[in-house]
Amino acid sequence: MRYILMPERREAPGDPMPKPPSPSEEGGGPRRPETGSPDKDNLLKRMRKVDPKQAERYRQRTGE
Amino acid sequence: MHLFGIETEYGITREDLEVVDPVEESMELVRAHLTGDFERRWDYRGEDPHEDARGFRVSGLQQDKEEDDFAKIDAHRPFSFHEMKSDLVLPNGARFYNDHTHPEYSTPECRTLKDLLAHDRAGERIVQRAADRRNQHLGGPQVQLYKNNTDYHGHSYGCHDNYLVSRSLPFSQLVKGLLPFLVSRQLLAGTGKVGMEAQESGFVPGGYQLSQRADFMETELGVDTMHNRPILNTRDEPHADRTKYRRLHLILGDANMCEYATALKVGMTRLVLDFLQRGVLPKLELDQPVAAIKQLSRDPDLKATVRLKDGRALSGLEIQEEYWNVASRSCSSGDPDVDWVLREWQDSLSLLKQDRTKLVGKLDWVTKYWLLETFVREERLAWDDPWLTSLDLEYHNMSPDRGLFLGLEAEGKTWRMTTERDIVQALAAGPSDTRGGLRGLCVRRFPEQITTMQWERIQFSGGLRARTLEMGDLFHPDDVQACAVLFETAASPADALAAWSRRKES
Repeated sequence: MRYILMPERREAPGDPMPKPPSPSEEGGGPRRPETGSPDKDNLLKRMRKVDPKQAERYRQRTGE
Repeated sequence: MHLFGIETEYGITREDLEVVDPVEESMELVRAHLTGDFERRWDYRGEDPHEDARGFRVSGLQQDKEEDDFAKIDAHRPFSFHEMKSDLVLPNGARFYNDHTHPEYSTPECRTLKDLLAHDRAGERIVQRAADRRNQHLGGPQVQLYKNNTDYHGHSYGCHDNYLVSRSLPFSQLVKGLLPFLVSRQLLAGTGKVGMEAQESGFVPGGYQLSQRADFMETELGVDTMHNRPILNTRDEPHADRTKYRRLHLILGDANMCEYATALKVGMTRLVLDFLQRGVLPKLELDQPVAAIKQLSRDPDLKATVRLKDGRALSGLEIQEEYWNVASRSCSSGDPDVDWVLREWQDSLSLLKQDRTKLVGKLDWVTKYWLLETFVREERLAWDDPWLTSLDLEYHNMSPDRGLFLGLEAEGKTWRMTTERDIVQALAAGPSDTRGGLRGLCVRRFPEQITTMQWERIQFSGGLRARTLEMGDLFHPDDVQACAVLFETAASPADALAAWSRRKES
């Protein structure tokens, strides 16, 4: 059996990787979290946008 | 020899469809990683989930009736088994494929916690990039991915942590030494869950528990992974020289979002394995491990005690403290990972007793609980409100625009060991000191000459005889790096293999 043009050669590196915005882009090593309350203007807004029925609709098959 | 890796099955859904076909969606997602057609290359001959570490072979694995019905439907699909699996080996040595209708990313084998975290995070980026590409094709953000372990309807999928262990350690000792540790590991490594459920038996809203997987543990030991799940999986599939090694395949863990929790989970387990290999055994034996794992999970106040066979009753914290005591006495310091784990393990146990808010951004169940408590207060909700279950799910969403954990990370409220540079590096290549890195190097350097691959072997074409790089006992970092230099510099795999053979003989 002969294999040519293996799929791993054809990964598409052009697309940007999804990258969560991070305050520390480079270096620094371990960072301790700043724990206060969740930022009300951002995270709570994100939480309020979640559809209350989303988990009810979410169905998966059993995996390992 | 320390070597570990993580396999993560992601939840996948389509928000634009009433009925989602998880087989097709999972397959399409993996293929979205490619720009060309899929070509079969993974060699399944190295996989045999029927061998049991207790010294026998099972004739078949248990599946529930629902799975059997699905299997009948899947048999009539217009694509082959290999097309459905869409198994890929990536240039960083990882494996990315469709496993039981879930996109699964298996990190390459790692030797350090930082490498493991970088590769786990690289996996998150790779699956989400595939979802972005698929969504581009679909015309909107229809595909959503979740790094979690339940659908809140009685279906669970796994995040397995794996460790290379010497076969000289009797399996019975491994079981005895590990069970109490694993039952209580969720205090640090659980990702938290709203409500309760069990395999195929619906969902009871309300309440909060430490672990997503505890509800699905049904027996102490067993070879099965999809039904009658065991706390300690006995699958004897070493992916290495079976005369020398075992692979400890732990299926009870949750898919952590917090880097700190992932590092602790794997680091603590590594230390426990270290002292068990030295013949040290904590004097703890649980009376009913399966009941205990659920009992501890369902007690976020951490006050519950579980009975030991000697009549004592200990809390999860007390069991973990005992394991920490043994580890601190038995595991030699000097290794940065050992020092880090011993220090952070102790600190975390102490903070769980004193002020758990200091663990927000570090332990998932604490972080999620903190978010949900805030929301309950703000919105005046009851704990059985279905909105909280949906928020639990969204904590694990891999979309940077929607995921609650990723939102928290963007605000700088999570602990990081990795930097973006670490992750970018892990996307491109595997660890330089493990066979995972060597696998990735071969994919990058000689893609057209590789005919088949599996965890312990790469087969190359060329000449009259197929040529094989055997990696079943290629674990010492010096050997890995010496082999890598040959594959880096040789003109062909045949030249590299000949030089490697000469080096081994000399």
